[in-house]
Amino acid sequence: MAFWTPHRNKRDEEQRFDPALADFAVFEGVGLTLGGREVLKGISLVLSERRIGIVGLNGSGKSSLVRLLNGLHLPGLGSVRIFGAETKAVRAQLPRHVGFVFQNPDHQAIFPTVEEEIAFGLTQLGADKQAARDGASDFLKQHYCEALAKKPFAELSEGQKQLICILAVLVMQPELLVLDEPMASLDGLASRRIQQKLRTLDQKIVLISHDLAVFDGFDRVIWLEDGQVRMDGVPGDVLPAYVADLDRRAGAATDEVDL
Amino acid sequence: MISVYLPGTSWLHRMPARLKLLLLAALSMAILPVQDPLVLGGVFAAVLAFYATLGPQGLKQVRLLRPLASLLLIIFLLHGIGGSWMEGLVAVMRLVSMVLLANLVSVTTRMDDMLEAVMPLFYPLKIFGVSPKKPALAVTLVIRFVPVLLSVYSSLAEAYRARTGKRGSWRLVAPFALQALRLSENVAEALTARGGAAGLGSHIPRTRRGDAGC
Repeated sequence: MAFWTPHRNKRDEEQRFDPALADFAVFEGVGLTLGGREVLKGISLVLSERRIGIVGLNGSGKSSLVRLLNGLHLPGLGSVRIFGAETKAVRAQLPRHVGFVFQNPDHQAIFPTVEEEIAFGLTQLGADKQAARDGASDFLKQHYCEALAKKPFAELSEGQKQLICILAVLVMQPELLVLDEPMASLDGLASRRIQQKLRTLDQKIVLISHDLAVFDGFDRVIWLEDGQVRMDGVPGDVLPAYVADLDRRAGAATDEVDL
Repeated sequence: MISVYLPGTSWLHRMPARLKLLLLAALSMAILPVQDPLVLGGVFAAVLAFYATLGPQGLKQVRLLRPLASLLLIIFLLHGIGGSWMEGLVAVMRLVSMVLLANLVSVTTRMDDMLEAVMPLFYPLKIFGVSPKKPALAVTLVIRFVPVLLSVYSSLAEAYRARTGKRGSWRLVAPFALQALRLSENVAEALTARGGAAGLGSHIPRTRRGDAGC
């Protein structure tokens, strides 16, 4: 019989993830300083769309912003709530809900062969070795990748490597998938294949890219500049404005090193 | 001599990883004091026969000795000059047999089995509150990232050659170290993004069907 409820439990209750929540990420007055530089300033955003793109120049805060989504960074000021839970309180549990794919697949894979790499995600969730191995094998079959199962990661093509990195994250069944320039090292064909793959996924997606064509079919694009939101809306409005700004700045550059 | 796992179902693949490692240690200790070239020749032939049982792909693995060739030659010459040529031959045969035996274990053992086999070695760390999973994972990372580091070095050497016309130089050590550090930072971040070295607990999700793939 519970006649006394510790305060801690009440707090845990408040911080529970609710994957059904429409507003999957809420930023409130978020500021972030890294290495003495203010990389994000007063960001307030509510993310609820299925496909969200992030654009901006290098150093504009794109990577820092998306790193707040799975706790790789915590906000210095303000708060970030993911599926209703504040990231500061639930940091260790975030990888279960938010998958993160980086630019360079060679820096992500931990195990020497594909199947082991996929199985790692399942052992991370507590599966024993045999269950993880069987689960990985099934998962690769579901994604028509069984031919790669036994291959050494180092021998895959760049596109295959990135695909496996995405699958290695997906096997953990996150509700949100964050990708930081995943197509940057891929050729045109591999990039298109990865885009096709992303379109089929049930997960909500937040994607950073310099190649604006990948935002075809996206619901929303956020344009960052100097750590702030410069423009936020449907791709049809934001992308032309962004390109026009790039053209204007390139044309207005006053000296050779302005790049 | 870090080579890649060769998938298969041979008797060596089926043998438990721990037994393989124990046998490797025992055989290496046994080979070490042997001085008789005939016995060592026999050992060498037996090791080659082990490789042969893995099929043609297995025998191909012996080619991995090639990078060691110059080192072996130096050892052989040093022995020949300082002692006798027979001593040189014995030393080289002993070394080759031991390296090939060790390689046989890595070629026929999956990394996760190897991890499980070496994990007990790290159990004493529990006394200090360190999870034995961590050093075991570190071993995996070392093996996984050797080819990556080699390619980092070769791109640096290529850039150096493109501008100087010379092959690699000791000057590349500093940029290589910096890039390796940066790589390790990225890898650590990627590992954190997937729940870190300690894992996330015991929840196992349902698997969901995907629509497109390779």
